[in-house]
Amino acid sequence: MSVHILRIAAALYAGAAAAYIVYFARPRHGGAATAGFWLLAAAFAVNAVAFGVGCAEYGGLEFFSLRGGLVLLVWLASGAYLVLQRFYKVPTLGAFITPFTLVVLLPTLFGDPTHPEMAPAALRHPTLTLHVVTAVLGVALFGIAFGSAVMYLLQEREVKGKRFGALFSRLPSLDALDRMVQRLVRAGFVVYTVALVAGTITATAVWKSAWSWDPQQIVSLVVWFLYGAMVQLRHSGWHGRRYALLTLVGFVLVLGSMLSLKAVPGFTRHSGDYGLGPPAGGAQ
Amino acid sequence: MSGRELFLVGLSHKSAPIEVRERVALSGDALRSALHELRQMDGVQEAFVVSTCNRVEVYVQAEADEPARRFFTSRASEAGDHLYAKGGVEAVRHLFRVASSLDSMVVGEQQVLGQVKEAYGLASAVQAAGSYISRLCNRAFATAKRVRTETDIGRGATSMSQVAVELVQKIFGDLGGRAILLAGAGKMGALSAKALAGLGADRILVTNRSSERGLALAHQVKGTFREWEELPRLLVEADVVIVSTGAPSYVLGRDMVHAAMKARRQRSLCLIDLAVPRNVDPAAGRLPDVFAYDVDDMERVVEATHEARKSEALRAEAIVEAEVMAFAREREARAALPVLSQLRRRAEAIARAEAERTLAQVGGKLDEKGKKSVEAMAQAIVNKLLHGPTARLKEAASSGDGALAGAAAELFGIEEAPPAGNERGEAAPAEAHPRTPTAASNE
Repeated sequence: MSVHILRIAAALYAGAAAAYIVYFARPRHGGAATAGFWLLAAAFAVNAVAFGVGCAEYGGLEFFSLRGGLVLLVWLASGAYLVLQRFYKVPTLGAFITPFTLVVLLPTLFGDPTHPEMAPAALRHPTLTLHVVTAVLGVALFGIAFGSAVMYLLQEREVKGKRFGALFSRLPSLDALDRMVQRLVRAGFVVYTVALVAGTITATAVWKSAWSWDPQQIVSLVVWFLYGAMVQLRHSGWHGRRYALLTLVGFVLVLGSMLSLKAVPGFTRHSGDYGLGPPAGGAQ
Repeated sequence: MSGRELFLVGLSHKSAPIEVRERVALSGDALRSALHELRQMDGVQEAFVVSTCNRVEVYVQAEADEPARRFFTSRASEAGDHLYAKGGVEAVRHLFRVASSLDSMVVGEQQVLGQVKEAYGLASAVQAAGSYISRLCNRAFATAKRVRTETDIGRGATSMSQVAVELVQKIFGDLGGRAILLAGAGKMGALSAKALAGLGADRILVTNRSSERGLALAHQVKGTFREWEELPRLLVEADVVIVSTGAPSYVLGRDMVHAAMKARRQRSLCLIDLAVPRNVDPAAGRLPDVFAYDVDDMERVVEATHEARKSEALRAEAIVEAEVMAFAREREARAALPVLSQLRRRAEAIARAEAERTLAQVGGKLDEKGKKSVEAMAQAIVNKLLHGPTARLKEAASSGDGALAGAAAELFGIEEAPPAGNERGEAAPAEAHPRTPTAASNE
């Protein structure tokens, strides 16, 4: 049932992406941006319903599969963008974020969703949900920072190269994009820190050890240090092009590690049997 | 075609030199009394005058354009050689093009619409403009608005200082909390600094080799003067630097800018070089987070704007044409209204009378609900019967065919003109219009 609702949400996400792209192509039609915002808000709401129904269907552990994780990423990224748009009015950013979320969402709509990869009951711990949600939200914020950094670099190329074409007039000012990147990196870092703390608490309780040289743990720590360094560098005056490039590198690392770790079975305890040995029932 | 029509007589930057334009241009009280004068002339129903530094145009709703011509020749005899005159739809089109800034010196400029609005406001304040000119002007304003929102005719920068403003906006957004540095006393530099100050810069710093001229310039742009020797430090303080000195070589070298960028911790720096020969080393412009532009770069933007506006103007002309046609059609449709309202009023009176008569005979046997339905039935018959003819009359009128309205008037015996003032104030122009029902039936 939840997958059908999710497909409705996907259609709304697609509508929002289309509206934002129309707005980007024809900035005179401000109505397209408004339509995009409300379609995205509707997609966000329907997606939330899909989560609710999914939790009832699968016992609330849908997010432990790659599929659930991607949907959660799309949902949180969309929510974060809605908040940004509400406060900072960056409709052109929508044209960069919404198609991207759609690409992430598409593979989750196919395949057999009725048997999601279930996490073992032994993993259930009060801090686990917090760990998962904050980790994904952190990645979503880093993702939007990546989108803003791409916009910065495109606009920088236009402004510096004296090409005053379509992109030049559509993209926001360099200063606005620079500040947007900085805000998102900072917010993402704070959220990601919460994820690491919650993860450590969960690991201590479930695996009986806070640190076990798990590849996912190592990568997460590297990412955390990287973004921490970026927050610090900003304080010591890093701006503009260098900072945007660093944001790109950071997110490529996040995305690459996330996907490659999930792709190799048994490599990390963050998938498969979650380091708890074969389940007694032999399901899966 | 007899009766009153719209006439335009005028001269503009295209037809007359400034010496003639300034002799006939009017404003304030002089314009007010000129409007009164026009209104008093024989056969003039309504009038308004657009008077700007680029054009003086007299629009009259009258029997001929003679009164408007006299407006010019009585003020400057040589004006007669530079006048253009248009009537009817041509005059309407001209006004719509002027308001949409298609006839301007810089096509797409923003001021002219405001000037036409002002002209209309003044004319209606002194009661020279009545309901016809009011409809005409409102349509012209709506057309201008459509042109502005549906085309890119107003986009882009058309002068150097506008280009500077646009560039700085794309780099910094606004200049709140930032400083502008004006180096050198070139005229273009001061202009650009003033334009940029409009972006909300906190302060303007001025520096010049000769401190005497520098101080004068600082006073002129409301800035603070700093010694020329401080230049390297000023590059750290300011975010936008406008350079226009008469120096024969680079004033801002690569090394000086490089050092400044280090001290700035790579905060963006915008260098606008308005000098020929150039004052900013092109190598400095290639440094990261430095955005440098010279006169050629900025000229190119201005040219590109003019090119883009040319193609947008074609789309704007199509909008103007559609609006002119719609305005003309509406006017025709309005002419059919008196017949329609007469017809409906008569039919309704008959229905009411018949319903009353019926109720007087059988009303006693009916309850309140029954009486209501008798009245409703009579009204429904009127509506159904008149629906088709109403639609067809409106259609015929809007396609310019007044004969059908005349035939309807004759057929239903509607001869007398409708009582004045019953058409929400719109009766007056309809009466003034040649196509009253009786006139139409004579065709």
